[in-house]
Amino acid sequence: MPAHLTSVEPVRKSVTVPAAPQRAFELFTAHIQEWWPLATHSVGGSQAVGVAFGEGVGAAITEILADGTTSVWGTITDWEPPHRVAFTWHAGTPEAEATRVEVTFTAAGPASTVVRLVHSGWERRPDGAIVRDGYQAGWDPVVASFVAAAGTAG
Amino acid sequence: METYEAVLEALGDRTRRQIVHRLRAGPSSVGELAAALPVSRPAVSQHLTVLRRSGLVRYEELGTRNVYRLDPAGLSELRAWLDGFWDAALDRYAERVRGAQPPGG
Repeated sequence: MPAHLTSVEPVRKSVTVPAAPQRAFELFTAHIQEWWPLATHSVGGSQAVGVAFGEGVGAAITEILADGTTSVWGTITDWEPPHRVAFTWHAGTPEAEATRVEVTFTAAGPASTVVRLVHSGWERRPDGAIVRDGYQAGWDPVVASFVAAAGTAG
Repeated sequence: METYEAVLEALGDRTRRQIVHRLRAGPSSVGELAAALPVSRPAVSQHLTVLRRSGLVRYEELGTRNVYRLDPAGLSELRAWLDGFWDAALDRYAERVRGAQPPGG
């Protein structure tokens, strides 16, 4: 059914920022802690004290909790500064159920960059199979996201 | 009332999340769910009522069986939430970039 299929289409976002791609890329990655809304966008909620974006393929995106423990949100799969970075996304879920996020940085002027984010991979299941009923796909990561948010909902 | 808040509330309970996970595999009757979970049949029925009101599951007759299955409507609410998740994150990012601009730059 169309409604089912459309529900697993990638989430696509874009924002134009007043900076050259190099700066935009660095702020998105190395400086993520300066802008990421940890209070609402974390596994630990109020216990989350930081987030670190690794550098290079294989590096992790990691949430740091007040007690010193960490929670890995994903692993970098593509590292092409300052144009593109892609990573798996499994905040709060087993890595096998990871979805995928790709962010591209395209110059739109001397000091302007269009940042496009695509969050896909909802068809992925623990067994790696493509599901028949598309709408059921992505349930785990979305529920996990809910669980992450619920930690600070009160 | 198929609101995002209702979905959040519905999923705020571990047993209901377990029911949702069970239903991912396909439609199930109350009896089947109760047999698979460490809760009584009446309790499962109550949880299913909450899930149904949130839009996450719906009730239907499948042949001679009365079963519950996941409803895309509830997922749509969550998808909308996910949209908001990235909107909020990118808003903060854009604010940070603007703030990083040198004076006059």
